[in-house]
Amino acid sequence: MSLSEAALQALHMLLEGDPSLWGIIYVSLRVCFFAMLLAAPPAIMLAFLLANFSFPGRRILVVLIQTLQALPTVVIGLILYFLLTRNGPLGAYGLLFTQGGMILGEAVLAFPILAAMTLSALQSADPRVTETARTLGAGSIRAAWTLMMEVRFAIMAAIVTGFARVISEVGCAMMIGGNIAGVTRNITTAIALETSKGEFAQGIALGIVLVAVALVTNAGMALLQGKGGLK
Amino acid sequence: MSLLEIRGLRKVYGQRLLFEIPGLTLERGQSTLLVGTNGAGKTTLLRILAGLEPAEIAEYVFDGRKIAVREISRLAPTVVYVHQHAYLFHSSVAANIAYGLQGRGLSRAEINACVDAEIEWAGLREVAQVPTQRLSGGEKQRVALARARVLKPKLLLLDEPTANLDVDARRQVGDLIAHMGRGDDCVLVATHDPELIARSWSARYVLENCALADLQM
Ligand SMILES: Nc1ncnc2c1ncn2[C@@H]1O[C@H](COP(=O)(O)OP(=O)(O)OP(=O)(O)O)[C@@H](O)[C@H]1O
Ligand SMILES: [Mg+2]
Repeated sequence: MSLSEAALQALHMLLEGDPSLWGIIYVSLRVCFFAMLLAAPPAIMLAFLLANFSFPGRRILVVLIQTLQALPTVVIGLILYFLLTRNGPLGAYGLLFTQGGMILGEAVLAFPILAAMTLSALQSADPRVTETARTLGAGSIRAAWTLMMEVRFAIMAAIVTGFARVISEVGCAMMIGGNIAGVTRNITTAIALETSKGEFAQGIALGIVLVAVALVTNAGMALLQGKGGLK
Repeated sequence: MSLLEIRGLRKVYGQRLLFEIPGLTLERGQSTLLVGTNGAGKTTLLRILAGLEPAEIAEYVFDGRKIAVREISRLAPTVVYVHQHAYLFHSSVAANIAYGLQGRGLSRAEINACVDAEIEWAGLREVAQVPTQRLSGGEKQRVALARARVLKPKLLLLDEPTANLDVDARRQVGDLIAHMGRGDDCVLVATHDPELIARSWSARYVLENCALADLQM
């Protein structure tokens, strides 16, 4: 099959709603969505603690988070594999080769990105925000919430970036998910493992979807950063 | 009993002594003026009084209660500080004015009524729907004043409240200050504005040579 034939077939599959193709896309979106849902609250909370309180080990934690952002996804996959494997410390939960395991893995990947970006947003926020809130009578919790609201666009940008990272990574999804058809096969593992088995059209179709996701998330970022820039 | 009595206030930045004030008393209903050259420490003093800035204070007695230095900021919103360049939250004008009223057990209707009266007072009716980031400097300043005034603080600390204002708005702020001077509440204003300085004040201070002195007119 030539490349142009495969591309044409890919468009057909996308437009005609090929169930196995859209099933794969659904797995990706679902896993990423729940991974973000799992990672965002604790990551934002941690960023808030790091931005507002000094405690022993704070600097180390900040450096650790920044380093973890750059950790190769297969390494995180490898570590999680050993944790989740039947005889591993978390083996009892039976999460290896399940969507639950993938959600956990992608959440671990997204966490440092979310925490680091939120931290930098909070640190670059105007100090008058908290002062104004406090002097108008807000308690520390309400003042914190107000600060969050003032940097909401930057936090949303962090979530978009985290989402873009986890939906496009293959290492962790492959090691934890295992590319099981209809269960854990997602966009990236399907492209990486099925194309070589002759599924050219499917690979191209999924590639188009990934690029579209990248476009949408980047456009979203530009929009959010534009809004956040308004002072 | 005075509203605020301070003894032994000292502020240093590293090696530099910014000011040393043996005693400062604000009587109820007093309107106080504070002048001084750029960098004299007016903003710093106001921020210290509001608990936003640490300092050495031997005694801070507010409303007859002795307050520890670290606890001063808890006096908000009985003590309210308005920044030299006020920060408005990225929401509506009304939400900014309502900010301090929330969480005090007031009903929506009561809050709305207060906010509405304040919008009227500050002459913000026409721009009430404009996003706060788009307001002019003077309009921002008025929102900030309204936002503080609506809380009826016992001590209102205004840092150059007329810096961005036009003639009418300057008069309004001047009237607000005069009005506060009649009630039981106190207002302390740091300014360079000659028009404001020339108004009637219960007390006029100048911060110079690291000390607070009576201003000779
Ligand atoms: N964190 C800091 N470290 C060192 N010096 C500081 C710090 N913060 C403020 N200062 C200095 O303290 C001095 C007093 O500043 P402040 O803002 O109180 O002056 P001001 O009287 O309000 O002046 P202006 O009329 O320009 O508003 C300034 O010289 C300033 O540079
Ligand atoms: Mg100043």
